[in-house]
Amino acid sequence: MTVTEPHTARPAPRFVRADGPDKVTGSGRYTADLSLTGVLAAKFRYADVSHARITRLDVSAALAMPGVMSVLTAADVPDVRFGPFVQDRTLFATDVVRYEGEIIAAVAATTAEIAQRAVDAIVVEFEPLPVVTDLEASLAPGAPLVHDGWAGYGAAEVVVRDRNDASFSSITKGDAAAAMATADVVVSSRYVADGCHAAPIEPRAVLAQWEGDKVTIWTSTQVPFDARAGVCETLELPANRVRIIVPHLGGGFGGKCGFHYEAHIAALARAAKRPVRLVFSRREEFLAPDRRREGMIIDITTGMRSDGTIVARTGWIAIDNGAYTADAGFFSQLAAMHLAGPYRVPNVSIEAHLVYTNHQPSGSVRAPTAPQACWALESHTDELAKAVGLDPVAFRKLNAVDTGAEGPSGQTYDEIGLQQCIDAATANAGYGQELPDDEAIGVAIGWWPSFSVPSGAYVKIDGDGSGQIITGAQECGTGAVMTLRQLAADELGMAPEDFQLVYQDTSVAPYDMGATGSQTLFNNGRAVVNAAGQVAEQLRKLAADHLEASPDDIVLADGHASVAGTPAATVSIAELAGIAAGGELLIGHGSGQPPGPPPLVGSTCVGDLGMAAFVAPQFSCHAVRVKLDRDTGVARVLAVSTAHDSGTIINELGALGQVEGGVLMGIGQALTEGTTYDDQGKQRNAAMLEYKLQTCADAPPINTHFVQIATPDAGPRGAKGLAEAPNVATAAAISNALAAIIGRPVRRLPMTAERVWETLNEEAAR
Amino acid sequence: MSESIDRDLTLSVNGIAYPVSVDTSRNLLSVIRTEIGLTGTKEGCDDCECGACMVLLDGQPVNSCSYLAAQAAGREITTIEGVMDGQELHPLQRNLLEEGGVQCGFCTPGMIMSATALLARTPSPSDEEIRIGLSGNLCRCTGYAKIIAAVRRTADEA
Repeated sequence: MTVTEPHTARPAPRFVRADGPDKVTGSGRYTADLSLTGVLAAKFRYADVSHARITRLDVSAALAMPGVMSVLTAADVPDVRFGPFVQDRTLFATDVVRYEGEIIAAVAATTAEIAQRAVDAIVVEFEPLPVVTDLEASLAPGAPLVHDGWAGYGAAEVVVRDRNDASFSSITKGDAAAAMATADVVVSSRYVADGCHAAPIEPRAVLAQWEGDKVTIWTSTQVPFDARAGVCETLELPANRVRIIVPHLGGGFGGKCGFHYEAHIAALARAAKRPVRLVFSRREEFLAPDRRREGMIIDITTGMRSDGTIVARTGWIAIDNGAYTADAGFFSQLAAMHLAGPYRVPNVSIEAHLVYTNHQPSGSVRAPTAPQACWALESHTDELAKAVGLDPVAFRKLNAVDTGAEGPSGQTYDEIGLQQCIDAATANAGYGQELPDDEAIGVAIGWWPSFSVPSGAYVKIDGDGSGQIITGAQECGTGAVMTLRQLAADELGMAPEDFQLVYQDTSVAPYDMGATGSQTLFNNGRAVVNAAGQVAEQLRKLAADHLEASPDDIVLADGHASVAGTPAATVSIAELAGIAAGGELLIGHGSGQPPGPPPLVGSTCVGDLGMAAFVAPQFSCHAVRVKLDRDTGVARVLAVSTAHDSGTIINELGALGQVEGGVLMGIGQALTEGTTYDDQGKQRNAAMLEYKLQTCADAPPINTHFVQIATPDAGPRGAKGLAEAPNVATAAAISNALAAIIGRPVRRLPMTAERVWETLNEEAAR
Repeated sequence: MSESIDRDLTLSVNGIAYPVSVDTSRNLLSVIRTEIGLTGTKEGCDDCECGACMVLLDGQPVNSCSYLAAQAAGREITTIEGVMDGQELHPLQRNLLEEGGVQCGFCTPGMIMSATALLARTPSPSDEEIRIGLSGNLCRCTGYAKIIAAVRRTADEA
């Protein structure tokens, strides 16, 4: 097995971000830092009730207030129903409100205080409707419908819907029922996960300004082109009249994916004939966006031979969609894949339902569905190992997929490093050592797809030899866009510092999907390499003319073009750029063909949204040492050891930051971060005082090992995605450590001190 | 409608005296950001929980979201814009970049203010002292390890 020294044994590489000086000096501007002459403040009127019919809506008192410049409701914008999978959403509530954070009206006024008073002066009367909060009750026959008109909504053709089931998906392979009947040992488990939040430290902000018939919108989005598409669709505008600019983005973690309030603010600004700015409070950040992590109920049954070999797996999942579908349409299939897991399972039958409730809508938060489903599967896996008397790590080594193996949906993997991840993470954690009674090391494995999508970039070298990368990619903090400089520099024999980045502007750069799906380096890296390669070719031709050699013999390195084997024959790239400035300019444009999906054999997927075949799948193993205070149920994470197969690592310092941040978010999800609701579906803990993120004092040492396999049909140099994968297995590993200490798993996520204490007492009473 | 009561104040920020006329209910954060025009100090929660708005008042770290501007008159306020050493990055700023302690950067100004105060009162802090000293500043990106490393290195180099 391959276990290398932990990274801390080596000097850290010095990667200094291009946006770093802006960020450490306070000179970098985030959206809420911007203003424009004459800017107005926007405030929204929210439903504040979870399910009701609007019987009266009167904005006249608000409109009459001095300082109020515009008030909008559904009557003032095009009657457009939108949504990427199910068109179940409108900008403003029309007739029925379906969650507390739904927008009924928007106000723009000369100050935020006046805007808020105007919002409060809007008269809304409701007729209450039954509130749907329970996932199983929502799926029961005769349950009250969250959307009376569901059958008439437009939807992507592949989405399978039925009443409160917004997206059904199943994976079937072999004959799970027959195989289960022949199994020597069968274990069934139920796990229930609460929803939680992305909680970026920057609350979102939007600023919009019209000039003539064109609008510029500065917004804190992770997905500028998606935001533009949303504005165009809902306000019925062509793409070239809407410009989205993202200043520095203060984190997202998926919470700022999708199209949110850009159209509301653009519509307010058009009506008021003034620029309008929205800045969310932390409370709004918790309550309103359709991007919280989804709660789930998970049933799983696995049949094994007495030696521990898995023969069959069945599962049932209910996922809390909330009131609208947002981008959660593919969650049912993704959750099913994560419940099947990176295991050799010959017979599979898993069904997953995305269930409407009157909760805040769910959406892509860092590795959507995966931490919860992995937590359930991996806790269940330790139950399986116990049932056949195997060590949990040995059980995983026996059943986990490996190079050439077939996974649960019928995909056969090219060279992958999951087994190496298990070896490295457990060895680095000291798994197997004697520990005190109140400590244990829990182990879990996880996986995550890479997302292969179109993406574009331009590269140019100006007359002085300095470069610019003009890219559609969006930087949300991960450093993925920053790493593009390294790729361009390597193609051109220049230094990363020779390049400036122009990014986050839809009118300047070609399309990119945005900071979502860990896809930036995977896809935009391909585009930048492509674009830089074109410029390299131009430089080689110029150098060949200049040095009287063949372009094929020109080598670009250290800022110079030289003739291979004749080091004296050399010219600086700056000099070549000066020559080019008087003739054919140095400009490259790149995109490239995204890798296609791998084939699946022998499985059937209903509601197939493309998630059953994982392009360039990433694998991980986390081993977490936990200490439990038996008197209080308080768990403390002492150390985390991770190993990741994300293919080739291009920027190690950036990659380590992704793993460490993902692990800490996972610890929060495991122990403290969970949304609680009252019986009317309203959030009880929509504030950072009650919804606890991990602090510096909580942070354990994290040891990371990258199993680097240059993956074919992947990103540049065989890189896969990375940013979401570290968020998958941490909660599961903590669960297994707790179960080892307690003697049984804690079946609710987050595993709060109260829930751990209850489990301890149940076990003691047994 | 409540009447606003404006008051003339002089606030000293990063060694510069700013005359402002603000409502007595205004918090220091909003006056620094809008009246004085220094936007490096961020608002993350308006609840004293996240530390993004941390500034120094006579060298002591304070959540400026929960501090009245009027209370800061006559005291020396330091914000992130006052940390650089002329045109050079402060070692803490440079080390945060080199160690990888900056991702989205939204928590960074507040984190730097807390770390500056920590290193001023404890020039050679233990790792535990660094953890406690920065525990009022939430970072959602980094997992804190590289921030701790940057503070450690800054202390070691001093």
